[in-house]
Amino acid sequence: MTIRVDNISKRFGKTEVLRAVSLEFTEREFITLVGPSGCGKTTLLRILSGLETPSSGEIWHGDKPIGHLAPGARDIAMVFQSYALYPHMDVFHNIAYGLRVRHTPADEIRRRVGEAAKVLEISHLLERKPRELSGGQRQRVALGRAMVRRPWLFLLDEPLSNLDAKLRVTMRSELKRVHRALETTTVYVTHDQLEAMTMSDRIAVMDGGFVQQFATPEQIYGHPANLFVAGFIGSPPMNFITDVALSDGRLVAGGAQPVTLPVLRIDRFAAALPRRAMTAGIRPQDIALSLSPVADAMAAEVQMVQLLGPEKLVEVTAAGRMLSVIVDAVVPVKAGERAWLLFDPLRVHLFDADTQRNVLPAPGLVS
Amino acid sequence: MTPMSRVRARRWLGQACAYATLVAITLAICFPLMWALSTSLKPKSELSTPPTLVPHAPTLENYRHLLTGKSQYFAGGSGEYQPTTAPPQYFLSWFGNSIIVSLGSTVISIVISTLAAYSITRFRYKGRMAVPYFSLLGYMVPSIILVFPLFMVMTRLELTDSLWSLTLGYVSTTLPFCMWLLWAFFRGIPVELEEAAMIDGASRLRVFGEIVLPSALPGIIAAAIFSMIVSWNDYLFARVFMNSVDHYPLTVGVMLFFEGVHVDWGLMMASAVLMTVPMAVLFMALQRHLVAGFGAGAVKG
Repeated sequence: MTIRVDNISKRFGKTEVLRAVSLEFTEREFITLVGPSGCGKTTLLRILSGLETPSSGEIWHGDKPIGHLAPGARDIAMVFQSYALYPHMDVFHNIAYGLRVRHTPADEIRRRVGEAAKVLEISHLLERKPRELSGGQRQRVALGRAMVRRPWLFLLDEPLSNLDAKLRVTMRSELKRVHRALETTTVYVTHDQLEAMTMSDRIAVMDGGFVQQFATPEQIYGHPANLFVAGFIGSPPMNFITDVALSDGRLVAGGAQPVTLPVLRIDRFAAALPRRAMTAGIRPQDIALSLSPVADAMAAEVQMVQLLGPEKLVEVTAAGRMLSVIVDAVVPVKAGERAWLLFDPLRVHLFDADTQRNVLPAPGLVS
Repeated sequence: MTPMSRVRARRWLGQACAYATLVAITLAICFPLMWALSTSLKPKSELSTPPTLVPHAPTLENYRHLLTGKSQYFAGGSGEYQPTTAPPQYFLSWFGNSIIVSLGSTVISIVISTLAAYSITRFRYKGRMAVPYFSLLGYMVPSIILVFPLFMVMTRLELTDSLWSLTLGYVSTTLPFCMWLLWAFFRGIPVELEEAAMIDGASRLRVFGEIVLPSALPGIIAAAIFSMIVSWNDYLFARVFMNSVDHYPLTVGVMLFFEGVHVDWGLMMASAVLMTVPMAVLFMALQRHLVAGFGAGAVKG
């Protein structure tokens, strides 16, 4: 069965939070909604949960419209950013609450809470109150509360954002493990692109109330649909070079200091490229840096070097443009030195300067 | 003296001063209470000069008179009980009246203010924000200004001299403040708690009863204690609204010990001590809830 978000719009007063959003995904998928604050991702999640009603549009579960159902009638579960554990109930009753409301027999409740607690490794905490738990334990209880009802849809609203960095990594794989074990369709909201990349089957990148791109992590990273997605996904962010045009089979950036981009071959897409101004994008990881002159390379001056551990982030200026480059940590590059840059032609992205859309039909300039 | 020990000495001195001040304040506050307790335990002969803090021959005579209602003035000769109009025989009625009126007004106040405060925090409608602010404003008007209009209302309702007039009068003074207090409290309860329960399948009413009320318990208890104290200690409303001796609450009734031939300090002080008992018990029973069970652990860390 598919879950279809059909043309959903949402206004709060005069503010348009969602503008005709449509998404379609199938059972067992792990979908992530990612985007900056205010992009509408949480609103979309709340509309899926029933806590918010759409101004227009419908949610379909298979061929059943569910947009008008109350949250409790949808048989879904949600994990809140703040966990929202009932403070006066112990862990057992927190997890059991949804079952109790639905008049599940007591021994069935005990069995299912026990099972959920075992999967989440919180069996020893069942008699504790939420305030006696650590952040990670509370997170597990919140997850248990969602799991135990065996809903057809999990909604997770930034569930890891209150955990410290180390625990976040652990819980990330934990969530993945639970998803693989239960195979429940999951919609996950985060502003952390790393979480989105590592956990999802498909990602919906959102901004300004629109879905900018809905695709697999590989596609989102490798072939961003537009400038926003290109700049939002990837760390450090993609370098952009504006005012790029095709000239004599080469890409030339205009402006005060025109420069030919160091892309060696532009093969068969050259003819298809628009004759208008474009913006070129290249990730810091996709620029090769040489400390000695290379033919056709772009000369640059190193401004700053930061060691990130296994690699170095090098900030350079080339023809008046700031670029960041990632090199291996062993490269002996120092601030103030000259360097020569080459762009990986398979990884150069070109966007229409007006529409901001990716103008390349598939990843890379060559195939 | 090394600098280190000087710092320590200064800190010690500061602590000593703080504690000395606290002890002095505590004594000053407790002194009238101690004096009342001591006087209530003295036989009549000891009440005249010179006053001592510790009674020489402590006796429970005063309490016995209050609680059995027998007059010490008229029963003396024959040893037989004779009904009198002296105040002690009414003491238990007054006590009962006070309890009925305080409990009644508190229950009404709390039920209404809880629902009202919840509605103001969770539902959107025009003018809802005016309610808490106006109610606080109303609370700032001295009750002496309100008591006569209220009396006229009670007359119109033909409720004067009935316990209902007091109950409703106290509701009118405590309700606004309780509502304001609970409004502040409900605002602190994360709305996600209710949303989680709603997704779990609970109805709005069930969410209110099983999630919101338990979370708001400390606030409700604080409001209830406030309301109890106001009603229990009120003199003004009772003085104005009530006519019959047996309808008085304690505060007004006890003043009768001042009238007539005697000012019976022993009975007066015994009444005062007995009057503090219910409030003291209430406080001790509930203060644990005032702090415990707070929303800690519900959200974040």
